[in-house]
Amino acid sequence: MDQLVNTLLGILTSVSILVLISIGLAVIFGMMKIINFAHGTFLMLGAFFTVTAVRAGLDFWPAAVIATLAMGVVGLIVERLLIRHLYGRLEATMLATFGLALILEQVAVLIWGTSSTGISAPLSNFRVGRFSFSEYEVSLIAIAALLLLLAYLVFTRTRFGIMARATTQNPEMASALGINARGINMGTFAFGAALAGAGGAALAPITAVSPSMGAGYIANAFMTVVVGGPAVVTGTSLSAGLLGSVQRLVSEKTSLVLGALSVLVLAIVILRLMPEGISGRLRRTL
Amino acid sequence: MSAALSLGRRVPGEVLVLAAIVLAAILVSSLASEFQANEWTLWVLYGLLALSFTFIWGHGGIFSFGQAAFFGLGGYAYSVAAINLLPHTNETITALLTGALVGAIAAGLVGYFIFYGDVNDVAVAIITLAFSLVLLTVMSGTADPKYHIGTAQLGGYNGMVGVPPITVGLPGGTPMALSQQSTLELFAIVAGAIAVGVHVLLRRPFGRVVAALRVNELRTLLLGFDVRRYKLATFMLGGAIAGLAGAGYAAWGIFISPAVFGLQQAAFVAIWVLLGGRTSLLGAFVGVVLVEELTSKLGGNAGDSTPIVLGAVLIAVVLLLPAGIVPTLQRWGRRLLPGPRERPSPARASERTGPENAQAAAPVLASEAAWGAGGEEVLRADELGKRFGGVRALDRVSVDFPGRGLSCLIGPNGAGKSTFFHLLSGRHRPSTGEVVLDGRRITSWRPDRRARAGLGIKLQVPSLYHELSASENMWLAAYARTRSASRADRRAAEMLDWLGLAERAADPASVLSHGQQQWLEIGMVVATEPKVILLDEPTAGMSPEETQKTARLVTALAEQAAVIVVEHDMDFVRELDAPVMMFHEGSLFAHGSISELREDERILDIYLGRPVGVEG
Repeated sequence: MDQLVNTLLGILTSVSILVLISIGLAVIFGMMKIINFAHGTFLMLGAFFTVTAVRAGLDFWPAAVIATLAMGVVGLIVERLLIRHLYGRLEATMLATFGLALILEQVAVLIWGTSSTGISAPLSNFRVGRFSFSEYEVSLIAIAALLLLLAYLVFTRTRFGIMARATTQNPEMASALGINARGINMGTFAFGAALAGAGGAALAPITAVSPSMGAGYIANAFMTVVVGGPAVVTGTSLSAGLLGSVQRLVSEKTSLVLGALSVLVLAIVILRLMPEGISGRLRRTL
Repeated sequence: MSAALSLGRRVPGEVLVLAAIVLAAILVSSLASEFQANEWTLWVLYGLLALSFTFIWGHGGIFSFGQAAFFGLGGYAYSVAAINLLPHTNETITALLTGALVGAIAAGLVGYFIFYGDVNDVAVAIITLAFSLVLLTVMSGTADPKYHIGTAQLGGYNGMVGVPPITVGLPGGTPMALSQQSTLELFAIVAGAIAVGVHVLLRRPFGRVVAALRVNELRTLLLGFDVRRYKLATFMLGGAIAGLAGAGYAAWGIFISPAVFGLQQAAFVAIWVLLGGRTSLLGAFVGVVLVEELTSKLGGNAGDSTPIVLGAVLIAVVLLLPAGIVPTLQRWGRRLLPGPRERPSPARASERTGPENAQAAAPVLASEAAWGAGGEEVLRADELGKRFGGVRALDRVSVDFPGRGLSCLIGPNGAGKSTFFHLLSGRHRPSTGEVVLDGRRITSWRPDRRARAGLGIKLQVPSLYHELSASENMWLAAYARTRSASRADRRAAEMLDWLGLAERAADPASVLSHGQQQWLEIGMVVATEPKVILLDEPTAGMSPEETQKTARLVTALAEQAAVIVVEHDMDFVRELDAPVMMFHEGSLFAHGSISELREDERILDIYLGRPVGVEG
């Protein structure tokens, strides 16, 4: 019984972490067809903003919200200064965001130094049989679900979200209807960056926060997004569910290294069978 | 870009420059200090790595972050092979080649999945980057002494130490490690030879097809080229070059660590190539030298800001100088010195311009005899059906097409004729039924295989190689059939004559009129010598005269092959005067001659949107 709970919670936590690190990337990719290679640094900045706010005396939860909003602002600036000039140039966007990642990471080094810091997890621990669990790690599952729900609601229930989906599906028709594509793109990118910030904030208590921490996550985040395909919510949840479970089970049975390898192999095999990703096959749009 | 695709046979400047570099390297390496020779060897090796990316991205159109990974794998392969073999063979040249081989094999494995899975460009970039980063994790986790290959310890995060330098010798003889200067000499010559080899390859038919599929992959597929195989071959060659460079890198540093799989290394490859110019082989080396000089200057003064400057350079080049330095300089140079490199003048080309309307007489399908007698059916659709989600776009249609002659498919929008067309061409897979070409079931074949089996397809929107000249376009089509460069040259000239486009042979396809583009594409389909020609709205956007000329052209083709035309323009259909099949609501509604169909009240009703009469 306790063994089962342990395994199940382990899987759910792994899946949730994949959702947290990839949802922001998925929004930007799914809605704007842009691959943001600075996504890892967005996660890192979200985590650092949280740590800084906590050090300044705030509780973890308000600090995380502030970090999320701050990353939204960063996203807005990045879109206006950089991304805006590169729409329609897929490779150029990848390269420019790659350059941005190098810059932001080094800026973080200059501000916060290279050594890693962290904050202690809020909440306490609980026990099931032989195993002790961190309440915060369990609440990551709720946070991940919440962010997915948030993305779903924004894109189905808000004026902005519906216009954003219209722009994605048929840009010409959308602009013929008077939708301001520039504004929509700016908003979508900022929203994606904010979600990345939220992901980074959620990770801050369970990981070593350092300027290079993004590199440890982006491979998994990218694979979750390409395996998930174009539909943001459906794709991310299904693909995180699949990749996260396999990663956790393989890691537990063998080693972390093989766990990392298994995600790559699985992602490549899935893409061989479903080149448009899981949600591409399902013909879902969100 | 078009310079790299030029069919000319002049001795290209880049070759001379590289030959000079090799000579200079030999000369300079004998004079250089140990330190300089050491630094320049690294530049040469990085240059090779950059060159591998120039080849697959700038020329093959494959945007991959995997070159650094193949470089790293080549380095590890060299180290493992050299440590194990050196005591027995007294040399490490075998290990060097092992590095190239491992790079090619790794690229082949990754490439098989991404190209044969028809993965899109974004996923290619991401999978290759993930491949590199996962290798970083995996190789960093091999610190335990149990991870060894033969006598070589993988060493985990700290990497492999005691890697032998480049050593020459014979089994049983004495091993001789090369000096810094000789190592520089060796790699400069190897790099020069590879660069010249790639340069030559790009001018061979293989290189032209690779460049063509970068410009227009769909057209290349429809001409019958197996684009997946071409991409895989390009990717593997790129992997081999990167692997060799990595092997050299491990020998150069007598060390290799997982850092080569990191983001920074992947970023460097992109920066070098982007800065130097992604289509320029020389640019690969120029980019390396500029970036390396920049970082070593910064390392001396303001080490901490190096990544910021690199990132800023990357962004600045993307925004301001997307072509890169060397191509931009070459363009300026050409503007200053309008020398012997001009395109052939139109006057020369026009000498062989035939009469404008020679279509009817021309022997078009050269190997007609090979196709056997016409008359019997060549293409058959058997109960062909297609559903899209809940929509039944086509409902079990069965049609035979005879080996010669014209058939027209008509029907209002949404009638299913386009779906039918795409099921024949292979862009869609049918939900039910079979497609049979010449007695062979081709239902599950990809478009390129169908094209090679004799199905020629022209889509509605002109799909040409816009930056290539009309004759280069035609050459590619002819080469798809003949697989011989010289025969394709002759055939392309013949075809352009036949189309009345000989005068425009040297012009880029993009500057031809709309009608000429349509004819050029029809001509390209014909040049592949198909048994069945599928034309989707060949007269869309044409003037009445152009439409008439197209009608004569299509009629002439129908004497030698089965021609199936999907058309909206009823005047054109009347002009063709061929059997007509009318589609309605996913079924074959009626067939007969155009005058018979015009008698049919129901068809008028369908076109006018009136409900079809309940009882006829």
